[in-house]
Amino acid sequence: MIIRIDEYSDVPIYMQIRNQIVMGISSGELKPGEQLPTVRALALEIGINTMTVSKTYQLLKQEGYIMTDRKNGARVRENISQSGVISEENKTELRRIVSEARLSGVAKETLKNLIDEFY
Amino acid sequence: MTWLIKVIMFVCIVPTVILMYMLGFSKNPGRKKLILGVRDNPKFHEGEGQKKFDAIVDSARNGGLIITVAVVIMSIIMLFLPVTGNTLLAWVLLVFALFLVAVPYGKGNTELKNLKRQLGITKSGVTYTDITSTNVVHALKLPWVILPNALALIGTIAAVLIDLGVTGVTAAAEKYALTTMSLSFLFVSVILVPLAVMMDNTRNMVISRDSNINANYNRAKKKTWADIFVAMSWVNTLCLIAYDIVLVFTDSEAGVYVGIVAYVVVLMAIVIIGVINQNQIERRYERDTELELQDDDDNWILGMFYYNKNDTRLNVEKRFGYGGTVNLAHPAGKVIGVVSLLVLVGSVILIIYLNATGQLDTSAGV
Repeated sequence: MIIRIDEYSDVPIYMQIRNQIVMGISSGELKPGEQLPTVRALALEIGINTMTVSKTYQLLKQEGYIMTDRKNGARVRENISQSGVISEENKTELRRIVSEARLSGVAKETLKNLIDEFY
Repeated sequence: MTWLIKVIMFVCIVPTVILMYMLGFSKNPGRKKLILGVRDNPKFHEGEGQKKFDAIVDSARNGGLIITVAVVIMSIIMLFLPVTGNTLLAWVLLVFALFLVAVPYGKGNTELKNLKRQLGITKSGVTYTDITSTNVVHALKLPWVILPNALALIGTIAAVLIDLGVTGVTAAAEKYALTTMSLSFLFVSVILVPLAVMMDNTRNMVISRDSNINANYNRAKKKTWADIFVAMSWVNTLCLIAYDIVLVFTDSEAGVYVGIVAYVVVLMAIVIIGVINQNQIERRYERDTELELQDDDDNWILGMFYYNKNDTRLNVEKRFGYGGTVNLAHPAGKVIGVVSLLVLVGSVILIIYLNATGQLDTSAGV
């Protein structure tokens, strides 16, 4: 799975990594139980501080996407808890995207098709 | 046998300078990802940009060619000069003159970076990382590089024991010649092992969205490296053992020099084969390269020295020549950089001092 880091983005690097790992799990690129690189290895590969990757992994663990232990490192969770609810943060983000799309003249149907494609 | 000293120097200098020229100044710059250490850009190949780009590349190529030819001609002339302290000094200084090939490269690098600014090329700041292959893609089988070098260590211990008279075997060569020769080869062994590990741990390049392509590409490149270091280790060890045996039975100076020439020729051949293999890999994966490479040109001083405070890696792939180099912003990189500089400057001062005191004349047998 390829991670794209943009050093000029407003989104912090730890969040960029987190978002793309979440997308990878959702799309199936990262399979349940799949081993993730160690904090040190991933930090060295991207060329960033280990603390940044550590922060990403802690966040992903808190959110229930991955599990970590000393012996096996980080792995994608076999069973990710499904609350069936969109978080307030994501609702706000979605509202922004829909608003921008409407202002740009994007048809509702096009947006729906995109959601179907990404879901 | 002083003529063999000249042959050794010639065999070391001439192929190296030609290889440096060929690697630094590509014949088809438009087909390479990097030109004079600067990442290629479509704007380099449009209208006015193309003209300026061609002028910079041609000027650098010509400069490199002039220096290469000059070094080759100097080497040929010196083959016919008698070996004295002064000519030995000249040979050693000619080795350092190899670095002059880097001057037009560095100049071209700076000019291309300026051209980038003139053409409004800004770096995207995007980096790709393939987390599937992180820490997984390796080609070096450590025992294969440790085994020959461990044998070299055993060979050296045997040489020391023989010279100390512990074994009861008396070497035909003069006292401690065996130890000196073995330690020289062991020194090469000691350098080869960490270099092999370092090159096997260089960052994986991401050229495609397909993780399998990335893994295969990086594994192929690292395999070439691993093969080079394993082959060099075996050649080094076999030479050490051969010398140990030869020097026990004979005191043939000619044998020693011929052996050194053969050793250098074989090492050069290994490097050339490695370069050819790497080029073949690049060509094979050219059509699979779909992702934009990271633009970190500004972190490469003169396209040769990597200095990036935001990069935690110590070792990176070289842009000039062949192999790896260190990040001079890394604490260990700073130490390696300072030590290398001191060794380089120290060697020149030492050689000049030895010549001034007439000790080089003694070595040359004058």
